[in-house]
Amino acid sequence: MADSSRPALELRGITKKFGSVVANDRVDFDVYPGEVHALLGENGAGKSTLMSVLYGLYTPDAGEIVVDGEPVVIDSPATAIRLGIGMVHQHFMLVPVMTVAENLVLGHEPVANAGLLDLKAARESVHDLSDRYGLAVDPDATIEDVTVGTQQRVEILRALYREARILVLDEPTAVLTAQEVQELVGVLNRLKQDGTAIVFISHKLNEVLRVADRITVLRLGKKIGTVPRQGATEQSLARMVVGRDVLLSVEKSTAKPRDPILAVEDLEVRDDRDLEAVNGMSLTVRGGEIVAIAGVDGNGQQELVEAIAGLRTPRAGRIIVGGRDITGKGVKAATAAGVAHIAEDRHRRGLVLPFTLAENLALREFRRPDISRGGWLRVKHMRQRALGLLREYDVRGGNCDSYASSLSGGNQQKVAIAREIASDPELLIAHQPTRGLDVGAIEFVHKRLIEERDKGRAILLVSLEYEEVRSLADRILVICGGQVMGEFPPDASEEELGMAMTGQVAAAATSSAAGAPA
Amino acid sequence: MSVGAIAAAPARTASPRNIGRAGLVMSALAWVITLPPFLVRTPVPSVILALAAMLCGAIAAVNDERRIGIGGFLLALLALALAFGNANSGVAHLKVVFTWSILVAAMLRYATPLLFAALGGIICERSGVINIALEGMMLMGAYFGIWGADVLHSWALGCLVAMVAGALMALAHAVFSIHLRANQVVSGTGINFLAVGITGYFFIAHYGNNGTPSDISQVPNVKLPLIQHVGFFGGAIGNTNLLTWIGLALVPVLSVFLFRTRWGLRLRAVGEKPRAADTVGLPVIPIRYAAVIASGMLAALGGAYLSVGFVGSFNQNMTDGRGFIALAAVIFGRWRPAGALIATLLFGFGSALADRLPTFSQSEATLFQALPYVLTLVAVAGVIGRSRGPASAGIPYVKE
Amino acid sequence: MSTLEEETKAEALAEEEATGASLTTPARLTAYARGAGGVLVPILTTLIAFVVGGLVVLLTGHNPFSTYKAIFEGTGLQWIFPWVTGASRTTAAYNLQQTLITTTPLILVGLAVAFAFRAGLFNIGGQGQFTVGGIAAVWVGSSFAGMSPVLHITFAIVAAGLAGAAWAGIAGILKATLGVNEVISTIMLNWIAIWGGVYLFGLGGPLQDPHQKSVPVSSTVVSSAKLPVFWGNAALQGLHIGLFIALAGVVVFWVILSRTRLGYEVRATGLNPDAASYAGINVAKNYFLAMAIAGTFAGVAAAMDILGWKFNLFTNDIQGSTVGFLGIAVALLGRNTAVGVVFAALLFGGLETGTSDRFLDPSVFDPNLASNLTWMIQGLIVLLVSTDLIALKILRSGRGVRVIFKRRAKREEATA
Repeated sequence: MADSSRPALELRGITKKFGSVVANDRVDFDVYPGEVHALLGENGAGKSTLMSVLYGLYTPDAGEIVVDGEPVVIDSPATAIRLGIGMVHQHFMLVPVMTVAENLVLGHEPVANAGLLDLKAARESVHDLSDRYGLAVDPDATIEDVTVGTQQRVEILRALYREARILVLDEPTAVLTAQEVQELVGVLNRLKQDGTAIVFISHKLNEVLRVADRITVLRLGKKIGTVPRQGATEQSLARMVVGRDVLLSVEKSTAKPRDPILAVEDLEVRDDRDLEAVNGMSLTVRGGEIVAIAGVDGNGQQELVEAIAGLRTPRAGRIIVGGRDITGKGVKAATAAGVAHIAEDRHRRGLVLPFTLAENLALREFRRPDISRGGWLRVKHMRQRALGLLREYDVRGGNCDSYASSLSGGNQQKVAIAREIASDPELLIAHQPTRGLDVGAIEFVHKRLIEERDKGRAILLVSLEYEEVRSLADRILVICGGQVMGEFPPDASEEELGMAMTGQVAAAATSSAAGAPA
Repeated sequence: MSVGAIAAAPARTASPRNIGRAGLVMSALAWVITLPPFLVRTPVPSVILALAAMLCGAIAAVNDERRIGIGGFLLALLALALAFGNANSGVAHLKVVFTWSILVAAMLRYATPLLFAALGGIICERSGVINIALEGMMLMGAYFGIWGADVLHSWALGCLVAMVAGALMALAHAVFSIHLRANQVVSGTGINFLAVGITGYFFIAHYGNNGTPSDISQVPNVKLPLIQHVGFFGGAIGNTNLLTWIGLALVPVLSVFLFRTRWGLRLRAVGEKPRAADTVGLPVIPIRYAAVIASGMLAALGGAYLSVGFVGSFNQNMTDGRGFIALAAVIFGRWRPAGALIATLLFGFGSALADRLPTFSQSEATLFQALPYVLTLVAVAGVIGRSRGPASAGIPYVKE
Repeated sequence: MSTLEEETKAEALAEEEATGASLTTPARLTAYARGAGGVLVPILTTLIAFVVGGLVVLLTGHNPFSTYKAIFEGTGLQWIFPWVTGASRTTAAYNLQQTLITTTPLILVGLAVAFAFRAGLFNIGGQGQFTVGGIAAVWVGSSFAGMSPVLHITFAIVAAGLAGAAWAGIAGILKATLGVNEVISTIMLNWIAIWGGVYLFGLGGPLQDPHQKSVPVSSTVVSSAKLPVFWGNAALQGLHIGLFIALAGVVVFWVILSRTRLGYEVRATGLNPDAASYAGINVAKNYFLAMAIAGTFAGVAAAMDILGWKFNLFTNDIQGSTVGFLGIAVALLGRNTAVGVVFAALLFGGLETGTSDRFLDPSVFDPNLASNLTWMIQGLIVLLVSTDLIALKILRSGRGVRVIFKRRAKREEATA
């Protein structure tokens, strides 16, 4: 039995640098058997880096790891596993085409006589473990066919199969439904009773308060402090996480909504795997207002945005922009109707990184006669237009002949935003417009969105950040499971929004107050 | 029981996919019945079968089974044309061309080198490395196999030398694909060029313009004493090269390895999602190295079959694109050993038939040589359904 | 912490979290060409290949220096040196004509591979497109006797280009509609083209020369379809105007890619298909068009050979030709750029000519060995070009490239 007076795991003075960037700066952390110790911080605070060091994926530049009182060197996941460390990754590390049982035993396969794989034993292991911890899974199901929640269970089971005594869960609730979160909490409690030491990584305050015994806060790679759950409040934690009392907020006047510009009616969209992603959604966005779509990631945001932008053909329903029906008519039709779209991932979609800035800035509108005529590209015009935009949007670190890849993330995003706004859209879709940006760049983006709102554009903001949603939106639509759960005013509390996001709709629907939709 | 239920009952077994499959079978039948030993001399039954097959294809096609449906339809057309040709050919000619025992023996001869290379390709691609260099590795085996057999006076040592040469070439591919994170198709193309140069250079440097001597030790044939003289079987498999039998035996061995052993599971995991394999502590890079090198050895053995096994000599660039057909067989066989066997037998049969067709017409026999490639193109385009290769094939793995 | 540092950090962390598609091959090649000193790396690559080739020569008991010198003299490139005079100048001029004759189709086939590459497609089918182009050219060129030369030549070239376009277009359509990997389909189309050609011109084939029933060869191109010779003696296979057609092709290649909307769409598709479709570009259509244009280049390449100096097509030529495969090396070494392709084609054209048994002095080095040496050098060059890291290690290059590589690596494993 584990000695509960000594930490199961101690990290001492861990430092990890990426080039000139210090991702972890002398971080100390420990966790005792039978304890849940949360690691709290914003995206990019260095949580994942720290855990990758622990799991042997990164080599620390300085510091020491101590397991059960013994200093150890963890140079690979294999070593970590041998030391009893189990990891439930944020992006699950499962082989999609293999079965649950195969994934469970991978790397530690039971072998029958003649050296053949003993899949029967593997299946029995699945049954044993799932019975013991109340984690029901079908051992013969293929990973790609089961829900995200089930996949997470398989990851947990796999750690248990390896007899992990230290279990690390990296943002485990990010992709779960409310029901699944509830189940996860139950499982963690059972594991605690068994004496497992649990590291729970999250950026959600309420969740940490619900699960953890102790909480350590990281900010910009540094440890800010460790507090017991007793006595901690969301406010006190928020102060530690963000580093100041006042949360990010933008000055803005009240909206002056005009006529509806975007009307989505009973939209049904399927995802890449042909599963229902948007399930009968209706919404309206007027000119001069920002409507935010809030919800847990993977609840249909992606598919909704793609359908409106013309990248995905809906199964049913209608999308009308400025009176024109653009349902399933493709990107060109959407652009012509006045849709612009700040893409969620500027590297994958928003920019062609090896293109020059001038070429990138023409991407939305290269068919316009001043950029190309009769099939010929008017390079001079293209560059002139780019020069103007780069100046207007204060893009630094490159001129119009520089490659987009040579800019910093913030400036890249400025280029993408400049291009979309320059197309003078009726409707601007901003999908996670500040992802991965620093504070200065975030402020720029937020201000710009509000300016565009005040010019009378309709803005559909899709974001996973509470603060962004609340500071920008004039109306908040919370979605869950591809459906609108309710509408909220921007001053709705985090609890209210959180409830609705997890599908608990009863209290939410009635609290809809401001900005009644058409 | 209602009418609807009665109508629904056969509909379950007769899914569009099964109807499409039935169409494929009927297409084949339409052609086969005009051949020995059936030799139906009128095209009427074939026409009926082919029309039925086309109908099945059409039904499948309009019911969301487009690939199999269109494929069946096209195959039926082909079968119809061939059946008409047969029905209008002399029986004597047909009997000469379709001497089944000889055809089967030739099919096995043509299939053997392809089979070895395809099995190698499966291992390699299953580990996540695209191997377009099978051609070059085969060529290395072909030359160094015969060189080894000549210098060491033993076909067995020759095969060993071939495998070493193939392994070295594979090592180069592995270093570039795995460590240097090259574009694997480009580096494979480079390997193929390099192999032509190396084998050609050493061939000329060592043997000059006279070619390899004629008395080189060759891989023996296995004479099956019981059935060697027994009709069809005697002709078909009674006197078959040892390497052919080894190749055939490797098919179940590799199937079991890939799907029933722990290292097979690990290999597949590495090819599907190396990051996942890494996080459970598997050595991704060494597994990939081992797989690429094993593929080089197998492909080289296929090449050695050509020189040491079958012809007994070497000439420049003697593999002549067989590595690419093997690659096609890998895809055609959906990255499974049994599938690859079927594919290589099909290609082998095509070549065997092309060999015997000059009885009819020299020039049309030539055209027939293109058939395996057409078939592959059709197959890759998806008659047998969109085949999905290992998810991470072609993507270098970067450990942090 | 300064703003810049913050942004860099944010970027690094964004990379850490990044998910999404990996950069495509042309994206990598572009980044690599720009960062690592576009000209230096190919030269270095070539040097390494020649050194390794020289070592092989040395190990097999020959003198690499005299071998390379003899090969160089075989190319006739010493013609450019003013101190080469008299009879050796005459020989050099003749040899150089032959080198440029070989270079001409290589430029065009190189463009064929390069153009597809710019759209993100690996066109291994240059050989097949070249073959069908040759078939079309020889058929048109040997028929329609009595046409005016300008018309006849144009007709033959257009036919060859269209044939190449159609052949490559098959791979393009399969890629665009069914997602068939173009590497596999173009390899298969190569063989189908080759056997098709052997059938057409083989004994008893429908297009075999009716005047010589026992020879597997096409009919001969009539004089009205022959390309005029502008340097050297037409009877001794002087240099034909195809060289200018090839150079015009280079200009067309550059203009399409840099100055037309189509080129813009093709490049966007090649560098980032997701971003292209996000911008409303029809990726599938561009795959098809890029392949068709690539095939046109390869088809015209064959017309240059047929109308310029070969005048007929033996089945052996069809089976033994490697021009299309050389095009891969040409394009890759030339970085898929217009100018790069010209120089790479000249290099390989020189190697082909310099190592052929007609121009290499057999007392110095056996041409049969030398032609295999060419294969080796070519293989090494392609192999070395396949990885951008070697270049990166040799030349510590600009920041942009390194960022891209880091990002690519991260992203690839995120998608892996």
